[in-house]
Formats: sequence, C-alpha cells, structure tokens
Amino acid sequence: MAKKLMKGCEAIGEAAVQAGCRLFFGYPITPQNEIPEYLSARLPQVGGTFVQAESEVAASNMLYGASGAGCRCLTSSSSPGISLMMEGVSYIAASELPVVIVNIMRGGPGLGGILPSQSDYLQATKGGGHGDYRCLVLAPSTVQEAADLVMDAFDLADKYRNPVLVLGDGLIGQMMEPVEFKRSTRLEDLPAKSWATTGCKGRERNIINSLYLDPEVLEAHNWKLVRKYEEMARTECRHEFWSPHGDADVLFVAYGSVARIAKTAIDALAEKGVKAALFRPITLFPFPGDALEKAAARVKHVLVSELSTGQMLEDVRFHLGKHRPVSFYGRVGGVIMTPDELVAEALKLAGKAG
Amino acid sequence: MSAPQPLRPNDYKTALKPVWCPGCGDFGVVATVYRALAQLRLPPEKVAILSGIGCSSRLPGYVAAYGFNGVHGRALPVATGLKASRPDLTVLVAGGDGDGVSIGAGHFQHAARRNVDVTYLLMDNQIYGLTKGQAAPTTPSGDKTKSTLYGNPDPPVDPCELALASGATFVARSFSSDMKGQVEILCAAIAHEGFAVVDVISPCVTFRGDDQYDFWKPKLRSLPADHDPSDRMAALRYCREREVLTTGILYREARPGLVARQQVTRAAAGYDPAQPPSVAALVHSFYP
Repeated sequence: MAKKLMKGCEAIGEAAVQAGCRLFFGYPITPQNEIPEYLSARLPQVGGTFVQAESEVAASNMLYGASGAGCRCLTSSSSPGISLMMEGVSYIAASELPVVIVNIMRGGPGLGGILPSQSDYLQATKGGGHGDYRCLVLAPSTVQEAADLVMDAFDLADKYRNPVLVLGDGLIGQMMEPVEFKRSTRLEDLPAKSWATTGCKGRERNIINSLYLDPEVLEAHNWKLVRKYEEMARTECRHEFWSPHGDADVLFVAYGSVARIAKTAIDALAEKGVKAALFRPITLFPFPGDALEKAAARVKHVLVSELSTGQMLEDVRFHLGKHRPVSFYGRVGGVIMTPDELVAEALKLAGKAG
Repeated sequence: MSAPQPLRPNDYKTALKPVWCPGCGDFGVVATVYRALAQLRLPPEKVAILSGIGCSSRLPGYVAAYGFNGVHGRALPVATGLKASRPDLTVLVAGGDGDGVSIGAGHFQHAARRNVDVTYLLMDNQIYGLTKGQAAPTTPSGDKTKSTLYGNPDPPVDPCELALASGATFVARSFSSDMKGQVEILCAAIAHEGFAVVDVISPCVTFRGDDQYDFWKPKLRSLPADHDPSDRMAALRYCREREVLTTGILYREARPGLVARQQVTRAAAGYDPAQPPSVAALVHSFYP
C-alpha cells in the first residue's frame, strides 16, 4: 500500500479498520476527536458500527459488551476521559476480554489543559482502575509507529485476552506524517474465540464474569492473571536502542514524542563532542527493564526525560537499582521541552556545561 | 462602613472577556444573568455560579459572584454539595446540553427528584461546540455533524421533557436573544424553591450554521395566556416541538426543596436548631 500523509489520530482510526476492528464507542474530548470522527465516517463503509456514547463510562462498558461477544473493538479518549473509563477497564481486565484503548494524553490532573503530556504513565502501567490487574501498554513515537502498534494491539489483546492501551500524546495525535498500512486483516482469518458469547447451541454456555465471591477462587483468579502478565514480560518487551555516534557517555531514557526530541538533542551533542544514546521503551508494560539494564551498564550517566514530573522515572530507578544515579528532566502542563534544553541537561551531566 | 449595594447589571461583569465565537447565543444568556441578579438585588457574595465543561460552562468566569468550574457532567452534584453546605447562597448552575443531558443525564434526574434548591441554566445549542462540532444528545435526527457524516441516526432528547418526567418543580424554555422574556423567567427561576430548570436555546453559529437566528426566530411563540403551569401534562405538550418553539414557564409546582427537607429530617432526629446541643452533651450521649 502506498504511503499517505495522515494526521496521527486518523492513521490510528484507519489502522484499527485494517486490523479488523468493526466497532468503536467513544465520547468527544480534545485532542483526539479526529479518531471518533474518522471512524464515524469510515466504519459504516466497511459494515461496522460507530456509537457516540453518552459518556466515557458508557463507552468503556459498551466496549465490555462488544468484546464479550468476541468482536474486535476500540475506544479512544484523552486523559480525563480515560479516568472515567477505568470502571469498564477493570471489569474487562478481570473478565479477560480483548479490547484496544487509545489514550492521546493531555496535561492534568483534573481538567488540566488540552496540550501534549505524558502524565498518565502511572495510571496506564500500574492498572489505573481498582484491583490487581495490568493493561499491556504500547507507546508510539511516530505516526507510522502509531498505526503499526494499533494493529499489533488488536493481535496482542486477542493473544492475552487482555486490554491493550496505546499511549500517545497530543503531538502524535495531531501531527501529520507519511504513513503506510502494512497489512490488512480479513475478518474470516481472525482466530476463533472459544470463550465468546456467540450462542451456545451444541456447546457449554460461556459466561462473561468478574465476580468471585469465594475468596480462594478469587485468589486463584488473581494469580492466574499475574501468570499472564509474567508471560507478557517474558515475550512482549519491546524497545529501541539508538546510538548513532558510538559508545555513549550519556543515555537518554524517553518514550513517545520525547524520544524524538532526544534524538535531535543526541545529534546536536555529538557536534559538541558529547556522545549520547537513546533507550526508548516501546512497551511501557511490560517494561523492558533487562534491556535497559544492559544499555545503562555501558554509560556514565542516565538521563530520564518525560512530559511529566517523573513517572517512568520510577520504573527506570527500580530497574537500575538505588546505587545507580539517575537524572531527570521533565516539562509539564502541555509545555514541551526543546532539544536545546535536553542538550543543556546532558552537557551539565557530562561536566561540559557553560 | 458598608460597601454600596451593587444593583446595576454591569456590576456583575468581571474583567474577563468572553472567548465565545462572535454571534454565540451565550453572550445573550450571560447578559440576562447580569440583569436578573441586579433585578433581584442579590449581592455577589450571596451568589454562587457553578458549571461543568463546555463552551457555556465558561459562564461563571464572566459573572462577579462565587464561581466554580467543575467536572464535565457533574455540575449538579457539585452544586448539591455546595447548597447542602451553604443553604444561604443563591446557587446557579450553567452548562450545555452535552454536559446536562448526555454525560450528566443521570445527575439531572436526581437533582430534579431531590428538588435541589438551585437554578439550572441549560444553554442548549444542539451540538458539542468546545470539541468542534460532534452530534449532541439534542441534535435533531438526520442532521449532519462531524460525527454523523451520513446524518444523525439517533433521536434527540428534549431537556424540558426530561425535566418534567423526572419531577422537576420548575421548567421553562427561553431563547438567548429574547432578553426581556429570559430575564423574567430567570428571576422567577431563582426565586423558586427547589430545582428550577431553564432550557435556553442558545445558537451555535460556528458549528450549527450562521443561519441559526433566521432558523429559530420565525419559530418562536409565547405560551398561550390560558396555559396552566400547574398542569404537567399540558406542559408536556410544549416538548418535542418541531415547527415552533414555545417559550415561557411551562411548569411550576410548590414542593419543599432539599434544604427544607433536610430540616425536617433533622427535626425527626431530635435536632432543634434553636437549641443546638453542646459538644459536651454530644460526647456524653455516647457515654451515658
């Protein structure tokens, strides 16, 4: 398929359609309205259904119902709306249903603002709703990668029967870049879902449930979920290690939009005689901790940069251990750091400031 | 020394300039709020205006009174909390149709059922304006919007009908540029004990089309002189109108509000506001 110039949000919508998603439920919120708008036009063309829900709580529960019936389905929102969806997400995770959720993050807490942010990292990677559960979290840093990861998200959701969250930010959602849809899924080729409520004629009936009143049964269910997350950690960790200037002294750790800013900073640093590299987690849960440990072992300084006050920082510090100094540079509220700011931070660390 | 009583509409204006689009109906609505507050001689420190999220929910910023910009769809629960804790304040809630009868629809019904003593100014533009033009719960069937390219497949909600069905004790409809009619309705709504709903048709010229005023003005009708506002079924006849838009106080009923009923509950529990028990007596009641 030829490349097309598309807005991130629209590319996400088309990627979902190409991945076999035929149902979308959502509620307007900036800066991701182009996803529902695109799908409201596109889904009817392919025999799908778009429903503008009365709220995000409703949207997440519509998703619960559609996924229980075995259909590939999607919702998208931005930070405050994602918080509202957490009721449905917790039940979906507990009932082990595959859904894809896109969060185009904006500044918070509360109503916050509408500009790009990465301040939902902890909510995304540590559960978000109530109970002991995790979503698999994918973080694109380009429009192309957003499209690729949305397609992968549907496969991963089916594979693990688990919600998959695609965590972007306002920059990824709103900017335009060339994008190519590398594959197109035919609905008839999708693996059968033996657990789905599709009519029980000739078989035992399937029940979608998250209620376990017997404490021992609920405990067993919780440990079963944990084994699933452990399997994700063994097989699904993804990252990019970018070191174009040879053995680096400074390692940037950044994901999403910030990783792109770090790449520009790394090239600028090379001209100033400081070698830097980037470690970019692509899966935020499971976090690619082992790979990070290896990358960090070869550098003098580790610098985490996020559009938050330091959320992924907690995971980086956890994996590198308390004896390894980790520096942090964050901007929040919709303010985005410039490459120059990251260059200045790295120069300070390398002892070459001013 | 007491400050002079501000009684002119302009005294309720703040220094903030509204960011609404030129031609937005909400300019008319906020002007009627200034006039109604002045007419009722309500000092700003005795008035609180709350809102949820949406274009219309910016209104509290433009009124010199206590202001509260809350959560999308949750303005009525926030207002219920405020009124319960400060019954002495006149509480107004401003919000859009998406805020009120989509995401906040559940709260709308319960505020009506509880007859919470607040005035609900529902600024109804039939579209999601702040997010740039998706279908709202009030968008007519068949209308094309950014999220209904092939025409809105769903029927609209009529906020007045919903209010009447939910047991609201004051239900009115007005049009944003009808200054005189709306000030009259708003004054009556604020003076009403209990939950007063005013559904103001407030055109969005940006996302509903710049012919909105030409569309609405020929449809406007006043309630007939013989309308009985105590007759709920008669009021329902003015809901879901298509060819005309009838403005006025559709329904009014005297029923104790939340504040009055809380006093009844306290009396039943043995509390006498004239002789509130001392802290020592309260503690003693646990250690007889």
